[in-house]
Amino acid sequence: MERSIDKHVEKLVMIIALIALFSFLLSFFYLPLIKILSFAFQKGDSSDATVFSVFWSTITQSSNMRFLAFSFNQAFISTIICLSFGIPVSYFFAKYKFRGKDLVLNLLTVPFVLPPIVVLLGFVITYGENGWLNIIWKAIFQTDRSLFNIFGTVEGIIAAHVFYNLSVIIRLMIPAWMNLDYEQVEVSKTLGVKNLTIFRKIVFPQLINFIVSAALLVFIYCFNSFAIVLYLGEVKYQTLEVRIYKLIKNSLKFTEGSSLALIQILINTLIIIIYLFFENRTRQMARGKEKGIKPKPIKLRNTPLMEKLSFLFLSMITLFVMFFSFSPMIAVIIESFIPFTKGISPLWGYITLLSSEYMAILGNSPFRMLINTILFSFSATVITLFFSLLIVLILRIKYNKIRNYKHSIVENFISYVIILPMATSSITLALGLFLKYRTTEVYLNYVWVLIILSHVLISIPFATRSILAAYNRIDVEMLNVASTLGASRLFIFKKIEFPLIVKSLIVGGIFSFAISLGEFGATNFLVRGNFGTLSIAIYKLIISQTIQLPATMASILIILTVISFLVIQKLGDIELKV
Amino acid sequence: MTKLEIKDLSMRYQRKYILDNLNLEVESGELVVILGESGCGKTSLLKVIAGILEHETGQILVDGNDISHLSPQKRNIGYVPQGQILFPHMKIKDNVTFGLKAKKLSKDLINEKLDWIVKLTEIKDLLERYPYEISGGQKQRVALARSMVSNPKILLLDEPLSSIDASGRESLALTIRRIQKETETTTLYVTHNQEEARLIGDRVAIMYDGKIQQIGKIIDVDRNPLNFLTAKIMGSLNVFPVSFYSINKENDGLVILDTTIGQMRIPLSGSKIKKKITGIKIPPSEVKIITLQKSKNKKQENIVQKGLVKSVIEIGKNLFRIVVEIQGENIEYLKVDTEDKELVKSLKANQNVTLEISLEKVILL
Repeated sequence: MERSIDKHVEKLVMIIALIALFSFLLSFFYLPLIKILSFAFQKGDSSDATVFSVFWSTITQSSNMRFLAFSFNQAFISTIICLSFGIPVSYFFAKYKFRGKDLVLNLLTVPFVLPPIVVLLGFVITYGENGWLNIIWKAIFQTDRSLFNIFGTVEGIIAAHVFYNLSVIIRLMIPAWMNLDYEQVEVSKTLGVKNLTIFRKIVFPQLINFIVSAALLVFIYCFNSFAIVLYLGEVKYQTLEVRIYKLIKNSLKFTEGSSLALIQILINTLIIIIYLFFENRTRQMARGKEKGIKPKPIKLRNTPLMEKLSFLFLSMITLFVMFFSFSPMIAVIIESFIPFTKGISPLWGYITLLSSEYMAILGNSPFRMLINTILFSFSATVITLFFSLLIVLILRIKYNKIRNYKHSIVENFISYVIILPMATSSITLALGLFLKYRTTEVYLNYVWVLIILSHVLISIPFATRSILAAYNRIDVEMLNVASTLGASRLFIFKKIEFPLIVKSLIVGGIFSFAISLGEFGATNFLVRGNFGTLSIAIYKLIISQTIQLPATMASILIILTVISFLVIQKLGDIELKV
Repeated sequence: MTKLEIKDLSMRYQRKYILDNLNLEVESGELVVILGESGCGKTSLLKVIAGILEHETGQILVDGNDISHLSPQKRNIGYVPQGQILFPHMKIKDNVTFGLKAKKLSKDLINEKLDWIVKLTEIKDLLERYPYEISGGQKQRVALARSMVSNPKILLLDEPLSSIDASGRESLALTIRRIQKETETTTLYVTHNQEEARLIGDRVAIMYDGKIQQIGKIIDVDRNPLNFLTAKIMGSLNVFPVSFYSINKENDGLVILDTTIGQMRIPLSGSKIKKKITGIKIPPSEVKIITLQKSKNKKQENIVQKGLVKSVIEIGKNLFRIVVEIQGENIEYLKVDTEDKELVKSLKANQNVTLEISLEKVILL
């Protein structure tokens, strides 16, 4: 009897959690998605038109095909370049031990968590037409020609993507080297196998899953890139993401935009499924191995020439990558103290940021935008954590499993339900919300609700995976023992599960805060009236060519992101993976 | 003092019966060792008794009351799972008192019970440490203390000595035995290791195919194993499976057996075969290594078998065990016990020898 009461309580909690989660996802993700579908499959005007006519003509239109091909090509090239630099650098960090290594590694990862708009600004300041690099180049060689042009060029877009995503490869490949079964290499050496063959037959097969999963992750980020391509690509180069935005916001072509959004979701879902397959294999490979490369102090005396050359090669690449990664961030911070016109204080940017004066170009006061940013991020974080925790609880409420436990139908279903928001880009999320709610009171008067919810939808996969990773490390048997000791389900959660996942909860929270802080795509799509954020302000100001104020805003975002990131590092590892 | 009875217990997982109409009785204060090979359902049985897994049919009676409907929280059963599982974020003291706090006992009572269990399990020095600061053997003592502190009616131990180093294993086994005897707690102890079973159990229950196949005092099960598998699980020496047999009822009767070490014709001397023959057991003391000359004089009722000497071990004062490899369809090893020092001295590795097995001493399983 008592057992059945416990089970009923458990079931009730499960049902309430499921209802809460699904009503949220239904209202703000699935119904908007259906709206996109309904637009994509709208019947055309001609008499022989079918529901597929507009969809088909949109996706086969030559300009759209060109933008789709561009999205693929630039993502592919960016990924290859990221791999070429990221793999040697990750090997350097896995192989050598030196002072300040963790700090350097953490700082190298910062670009990934930086808002894209800040990356963009850093790029403009460092490599832009009037950027530092070109100024130095022109001064040294007394020429009017720039060394590097990032506007309207593929090189500019690819360079920005490489800057943004190199850290993903470095971060994800270090565990690959660490998990390498080095004993196999040693045994092969004693069997007289040549180094190249060892790499081909022993090392590479162990690395390939890590390489493919990291590459797919970078590919999907580049494929869905928005802010960078919107600004640097000008009209000529557009990713699908930018194309959808322009079709809807500039041309009001809802049907065409929706059709492309649908194509994008399909491509993303496919890539994410392949990614999850490879990522799962890396987890299986990493399990229970502690025989990988152990970092050694750098020692060049009495080492063979090849070893010295290898160190030289690796350190040169690492230094280059460090310079490439740090310079835009440092440039932004320095630029925030350089007066944009004569006679003003170096602190002008910071003073203006705190002023409540209306600025015509922003359509608001900078201070209000700062406050919006912080309030939106805070609210989005709280809601994200609530739903992420709910997802984890639904997946893990039943813990009494036997060893070869198989996932239940509910678990599999939920896993797929959360994959779809993962595969949906920020513009598509915003598009769905816009199409669904554009005539309602929420969009017209309370658009901030939709902005916050779009941030929540973007953050949930990251936060959920961070919490779930910690939860999966809890030994189910420990919870079984606790229950035989007389502890109730709530007591077990309070005393065992919660203390063991609290760090990951904080990590997930900080990460969603950082994502929301600099979110640009969805916010820019939805924003109305007084509800702009710092990212929107930076974008408007870059266009206006007044660099000091946007640099100040970007510096605030960099500092907040770096602090968040360092706190995350103190608490545990970051889940860069989606 | 509590009696545990399990009646017709069945449990399925993915359509396969893990427990199949299992019956077992454990007397008050008794320690029964469940011995079985890995994957035979021993752990599932403990989890069903603890209430962690649900069974489909059958009863779990504690002092005659069926506890099947109770949640694990209400059963008052101490459960020590495999692999020294402690709460990693709590000090040892908090680990031990976890259950008492969950039951909201008063501080004084908690301290009183803590003092008692700490003395009993000898873990006083560990109380302020964290699990990662203590050894495997110490962790298992703490796990035992944690489950015993609330005076459970039944104690369930799942392979408590696995993953403990050899030096600590015996001492921990004896500690478990001492605490179990002092507290007179009815205990089920699961293992796949016969040595542990011999060291600790009052009785041993052999489990496979989801059932307890044989239960009894260790010495009895050793002497009269139910069948080949039971003898194998008990770790009996020189047991070999029989793939086919036929009975010749002429004269006093004869049974012809196909075994993995060759065909045997064993006289029945008038006795009857009451059950299916699954294997044979040849006591190591009943096998002789014979020289070529002696082999001509061998008794007619004995059989000879050729093999290669693989190793010789001294197992007692003037007692040696010779391991001989016999090559048939499969490679089998036959153990021969001897006190003949001269013979042992004369043997070399991989030397061809001839074995004489007294057929009248071969035990049919």
